Amino acid sequence: MQAEGWLILAVVGLAVAILIPQAGIRARWRRWNSARSRVLFEDALKHLLDQSQRAQPPTRESLGGALGISGRKLLNLIARMEAKGVLQSVGGALRLTPEGQRHALQVVRAHRLLERYLADEARVPLGQVHSSADKAEHGLTGDRLDELEAHLGYPQRDPHGDPIPHSDGSFSPVDTVPLTDWPVNASAEIAHVEDEPEFVLRQILALGLRPHLTVRVLEACPEHLVVSDGEREHRLPPVIAANIHVGPVADAGVRLAGSLRLAQLPDGREAEVVALDPAFRGFSRRRLMDLGLTPKARVRAELSTAFGDPRAYRVRGTVIALRNEQANRILVRPLEGTGAPMGAL
Amino acid sequence: MTPQEVLAKSDSLRRSIGDDFRDRTVASLYEQSQDIACRAVRARGDARWDFDQRIDRIVTSRVLGLPIMLALLAVAFWLTIIGANYPSQWLAAALFSIENAAAGWFEAAGAPWWVTGFLWHGVWRGLAWVVSVMLPPMAIFFPLFTILEDLGYLPRVAFNLDWLFRRAGAHGKQSLSMAMGFGCNAAGVISTRVIDSPRERLIAILTNNFVPCNGRFPTLIMLSIVFVGAAFSPALASIAAAGAVVTVVLIGSAFTLFVSWLLARTVLKGEASAFTLELPPYRRPSILRILYTSLIDRTAFVLFRAMMTAAPAGAVIWILGNIHAGGQSLAAHVSAFLNPFGHALGLDGVILLAYIIAIPANEIVVPTMLMVYMGTGMMTEMSSFDQLRTLLVDQHGWTLLTAVCLMLFSLLHNPCATTIWTIWKETRSAKWTLMGALMPLGFAFLTTFLVASIARFLA
Repeated sequence: MQAEGWLILAVVGLAVAILIPQAGIRARWRRWNSARSRVLFEDALKHLLDQSQRAQPPTRESLGGALGISGRKLLNLIARMEAKGVLQSVGGALRLTPEGQRHALQVVRAHRLLERYLADEARVPLGQVHSSADKAEHGLTGDRLDELEAHLGYPQRDPHGDPIPHSDGSFSPVDTVPLTDWPVNASAEIAHVEDEPEFVLRQILALGLRPHLTVRVLEACPEHLVVSDGEREHRLPPVIAANIHVGPVADAGVRLAGSLRLAQLPDGREAEVVALDPAFRGFSRRRLMDLGLTPKARVRAELSTAFGDPRAYRVRGTVIALRNEQANRILVRPLEGTGAPMGAL
Repeated sequence: MTPQEVLAKSDSLRRSIGDDFRDRTVASLYEQSQDIACRAVRARGDARWDFDQRIDRIVTSRVLGLPIMLALLAVAFWLTIIGANYPSQWLAAALFSIENAAAGWFEAAGAPWWVTGFLWHGVWRGLAWVVSVMLPPMAIFFPLFTILEDLGYLPRVAFNLDWLFRRAGAHGKQSLSMAMGFGCNAAGVISTRVIDSPRERLIAILTNNFVPCNGRFPTLIMLSIVFVGAAFSPALASIAAAGAVVTVVLIGSAFTLFVSWLLARTVLKGEASAFTLELPPYRRPSILRILYTSLIDRTAFVLFRAMMTAAPAGAVIWILGNIHAGGQSLAAHVSAFLNPFGHALGLDGVILLAYIIAIPANEIVVPTMLMVYMGTGMMTEMSSFDQLRTLLVDQHGWTLLTAVCLMLFSLLHNPCATTIWTIWKETRSAKWTLMGALMPLGFAFLTTFLVASIARFLA
């Protein structure tokens, strides 16, 4: 009698745990399931958009390969997308409808805005922003995206140099060519580095090549390219160089030529700030600007610690300590006749 | 123009304005204010500036920077150790005589023994212990510390030590929050707000506990005097004890750096954020401000919350010591149960029991230990360090290993309840709060176990 009583209690308890709204197991399972199918749906849209932009018509096979699913799951997904009116399948080929195109662009917009945020504000290394953004991009509503875009100051490019679609789906055109097609001995500014495949991206970043950097192709032949970034020379296989897209040098790049990095300024020397590295953005950049390290400000290297990093600089009447990593992002022009006292500002 | 047209216009302008409009805004603001200042302000000589520069050259120099910092720290501890001794004894004498008198009145008024015991030998005694042990060191250490802070020396410390933190993947300003942690880890956790990067701030929060706080200094100071100072002549005893405390602090700093390094490479991966640190001009400290900040803001605050936790802890200790089962007090039962585990860590059951009771506040560890050792059923005062040595070494088998393991355990174990609560308030994350509480405990167990095992193996 008593054992039965306990059994009934256990069954009732289990049923409550499963069925209770919001917090119950069933409700959680549903939420998890719908979130997962949204991720699949949006990743499929991204793949289809990407393929059509590369002028490679997507197929069922390419979609299954990109998402890592096959068989019934893939068919279910395609059927669901057709029912939503975002996809038309003609034979084996798949095509996004205008509605699908719009939806896909919003996913891309979320991805690239998040990349911008991660790189500038959260200071996630450039090699990792793509995968981090891939995980976070699905939970954002349109309103939150608009807020994020405003907060970031309406950026036009993601950290790799890809254009960020506007809320209406349009985006500013990019006018770049692969590094392999750039004429030898002409200066170029890196505009865009392909974020996929990721190991190629990391290899490029490890060499110190990144968007906004001014480079020059010294030598080009079918086996390799020799590229100079002003300080070092890199020998790149064309298959990697093709992932780097370049454009003509903006005037800022011309101005930077012949300047010194603040970290290289000898102790006791005075200099004038020329510019802050354009690739150095977000919170850290704002912090340096707020401290008064604006173009034409005068700085003087004052103190150095045991290992030469960090060093302290006098700027606008105060002494500010900076790690060399930041001081390297400040380009300065040394002034003659140092040692003379500076004005109060 | 219709509102729609205005919006469309602003939208198109926004895209053509370029990424650097914020830069240009800041630059023009600075340019204008520089113009105005040049016209309105005249700079006369740079004497102040040169003087500051000369001091800075010395305190941040390659050779002298670190030794000066360590010497200042040692002097602060030494002053605290020698200065706090007598006031502590006077306070203890006064407060315990109040206890005896009050207990006498209660008995005379016919109150039952357990009311008198609970209120006066439990709650009041807990309070009296904490006040007399903590107030004098705090009233000396905090003002000394505030003088250094007010002078402008602390940013130079952060500047000198940044290379260590940079290698650990942490922020140089973490040394500022560590310095605050000497006073109170909860205050140290709050002071991590000066670090702007969330990742590095979290590292600073999670490792702040490895700086021994004011509640743990009495334990460390007592052990240094009883086990280290006693080995030297009386003239050198306080210096040797201060040296031992500095050593413990250095071990704690090494742990801070090691754990920061570990965190920055595992759960808190990321790139170093902006390190910008202003080195302000040196200032003459203002006496009134020092007294206010150190005594009202810090001493009174820390003491008050210690009293709030010590009173109930005193009650718990009294209950554990006075409820008997099978001819032994509950305290004796629990410590006998914990003994094998404590032995493996180079400690004993009584010490572990004291640490469990002392989770609300670390200050009451020593009184609790003594209470259980002496079987008096209440927290006890020890009038001299010689008596203490006799009790611990001769009657309860403490060795140098026990002292070393206890110092390490005291340095590394979980933060007190207030600090844990502060971590929760600052991070709003159950995960990081749990991590902040359990990770140090794990390190404490591991380290003391290794030290005890190696020492026993070698012996």
